[in-house]
Amino acid sequence: MSEMKKIKNLKEFSTSADRFEGANLLCPGCAHSIIVREVLNATNDDLVLSASTGCLEVCTAVYPYTSWDASWIHIGFENGSTAVAGAESMYKALKTKGRLKQPERNPKFVSFAGDGASYDIGFQWISGCMERGHNIMHVVLDNEVYANTGGQRSSSTPIGGSNTTTPAGTHSYGEKKNKKDMISIMAAHQIPYAAQVAPNKWKDMVKKIQHGMSVDGPVFINAVSPCTTEWKFDPKDTMALSDLSTDSLVFPLYEIIDSHELNITYRPKNVVPVEEYLAAQGRFKHLFKDEYKYLIKEWQERVDENWAYLNKREEARV
Amino acid sequence: MANTGWDEFEIGAMLRSFDGVAATEIATTHQEDRNYSQNNSFSASVADWRIEKPIFAKDYCIDCQFCWIYCPDMSIISRDKKMIGVDMDHCKGCGICVEVCPTNPKSLLMFPEHAVEEDELASWPEKESKEK
Amino acid sequence: MAFDKMELRDIEVWDGNFAAAQAMRQCQIDVVAAYPITPSTPIVEGYAKFQADNYVEGEYVMVESEHAAMSACIGAAAAGGRVATATSSQGFALMVETLYQSSGMRLPIVLNVVNRALAAPLNVNGDHSDMYLGRDSGWIQLDAYCPQDAYDLNFIAFKVSEDHDVRLPCMVHQDGFMTSHTAQGVKTLTDDEGYGFVGDYQPMNDMLDFEHPVTHGVQTEEDWHFEHKARQHNDLMTKVIPKIEAAFDAFEKLSGRKYNLVEKYDMDDADVAVVCMGTSVETAREVATEMREKGIKAGVVGIRVIRPFPFIQIQEALKGCKAVATLDRSAPGGTAGMLFNEMAGCMYNLDTRPMLSGKIYGLGGRDLTKVHLVDLFTELQANVDAGKITTPLQQFIGVRGPKLSFL
Repeated sequence: MSEMKKIKNLKEFSTSADRFEGANLLCPGCAHSIIVREVLNATNDDLVLSASTGCLEVCTAVYPYTSWDASWIHIGFENGSTAVAGAESMYKALKTKGRLKQPERNPKFVSFAGDGASYDIGFQWISGCMERGHNIMHVVLDNEVYANTGGQRSSSTPIGGSNTTTPAGTHSYGEKKNKKDMISIMAAHQIPYAAQVAPNKWKDMVKKIQHGMSVDGPVFINAVSPCTTEWKFDPKDTMALSDLSTDSLVFPLYEIIDSHELNITYRPKNVVPVEEYLAAQGRFKHLFKDEYKYLIKEWQERVDENWAYLNKREEARV
Repeated sequence: MANTGWDEFEIGAMLRSFDGVAATEIATTHQEDRNYSQNNSFSASVADWRIEKPIFAKDYCIDCQFCWIYCPDMSIISRDKKMIGVDMDHCKGCGICVEVCPTNPKSLLMFPEHAVEEDELASWPEKESKEK
Repeated sequence: MAFDKMELRDIEVWDGNFAAAQAMRQCQIDVVAAYPITPSTPIVEGYAKFQADNYVEGEYVMVESEHAAMSACIGAAAAGGRVATATSSQGFALMVETLYQSSGMRLPIVLNVVNRALAAPLNVNGDHSDMYLGRDSGWIQLDAYCPQDAYDLNFIAFKVSEDHDVRLPCMVHQDGFMTSHTAQGVKTLTDDEGYGFVGDYQPMNDMLDFEHPVTHGVQTEEDWHFEHKARQHNDLMTKVIPKIEAAFDAFEKLSGRKYNLVEKYDMDDADVAVVCMGTSVETAREVATEMREKGIKAGVVGIRVIRPFPFIQIQEALKGCKAVATLDRSAPGGTAGMLFNEMAGCMYNLDTRPMLSGKIYGLGGRDLTKVHLVDLFTELQANVDAGKITTPLQQFIGVRGPKLSFL
């Protein structure tokens, strides 16, 4: 096992040489890119990457350009995780047979996919990879919609989110179902590590990615990716939205080790009311109408309940 | 890369990131030392996306590297832990670098694309007093 | 060598599934990602037992669906090694998307397809519906008529598919149950002969070569897509058949068994002929010989290489005939059968061409009997005698109920 790159502070981290390139087609201010950078820069090991169909894939690999400085594969929408699982299997086979071209290297296998590709259409494929114990990391770029195709709901879309297939209207407040708890489901596969990360807390993310890359077995990472285009905020405010996500506890940062040890990894000094998080995004602006204000109250209750639940689990070590 | 005919590219629509052998450790080789292929998007530019651009006032910078890490477009160039400039070929003008800059006055500010750098640097805003 | 070799007898009694599994064992595959489905399951099971008993090295991934099986095969093939899997029917249908993806990405993968009907209604028996579903997927496709073929064609498949001038995935089809579960004497190659024929895997554009990172599976829009698909088609049309023929020749030198793009049986002076695939070919040959004894100059054309379609070779085989019937073993879905249409396509522009009619038969494992074929050849001769087709162009044979015919 090669030594994990040492990153004491941001200045040290800034000496990283990105293996992801600009002049791609991602929106200005896209958080996907910030997350990808933090993940790839967390290691100096070789990488075999995949992306499922979605914003990241579609914007970084359009012929004749690739924005990837490591081997990368896209097959389809559901099967990005299985693609790296196949590559990882080939790595193991060639290692056994003594046919690796650079046998001294220790590649990491990472698949990137959106929430649509992971929670919905790719669910079975990820579940299969987690169950089979491949040495891969699946990173969900969670912007809570099918952003690439214009913002349709996914099972990650939270209650009250307005998007093109569950739009707010005169007789609807948008999405009616709560967000799927993908992290718990994946942790229940008895994988060594599952965690939620956010791009504003880079140190937390890098620590978790490094841990994920050092354990043997499948790792599931859910990264909140505030989407300027679909969440409807100014591109310059991506990091401000990321701050609101974590500090309002809508996206609590935690990890689950060996499927039953939950650790909360970020406790905001000042917890921000959920209302502020919602107010910053156009996709929730209809919730501020009189007839829907009760949903804001319900949002705060849900977030509080979830936070209490996480704290209980952390204490009980289950 | 010009639009070539069906017989002029590698099969499978496969693309190579580098010309020839990539550096032994790409992860520790900075951009200027890499042999990017013409198919690497590094070789392209999105400067024409911008309507605003960041201008960097080095004198106020404390090299905190927030701009480096939060730039989605790898356009903050940092070497030896020092912020040295903005990659204007790849900057899309999103404005995140300005928002995350902690100095007072900020070391990065957004200006219209046609703004003249020397003029703006010469008339950089004063330190803001925080009124409680 | 970290795995054991097997001493095979010169002739083993194997069914088509086990023959395919044995060929896969001898080719020393690096990654097999597979999912069980009737009637291909025994291939997957046979291979699993080989692994458990240390006859194979390499990874064997029991995935959670057929789509995942082909997805993992694609990831493994792009990583850079020898890859194979097996499926049928519903599983094949589920992985159809990935079939197009793998051929578009020009990755060598061998897929054993044990042909079975497609639901609905659900049926586990042999017919060619799954084969027909994958027609346009851009794969090289070979057809086995018996367990011997299923064994031999796997070696051909790896050799042609992995060739750097080809780099296209390859299917080996065999009839579900009729071939896959019927044991016959299979002449074997030794482990060394079999592996020696396919050779070591030669990587190309492999993701595990970290000194040359590559991007696989890009998007191409209206400014590039046509060129990439044109290139794929060009390579299918010009590069594959010469390689298949060379592989067939080399295989003949090794084993004494000769395969051909089009398997002609008694076609030199045939007046009437049937065109068919799978186990029907051998039945038709027997009947053709019996018809000869009755004075009808009958012949059989078996399609061995389904894709790339041997257009010219089929023209050559059939153009001297007077009446030809195609046998399609798949529900035609509102039109003439696939073989009928493809024969019509390749013969339409000939100066002289035979009369062409077609049969739909054997769906869902319904038997094709010698009596059916005797009637068929007799009917074709009647067409010849009358100087015109005396029947509808599409007739269902072997189905209960009032006579079913169209066109």
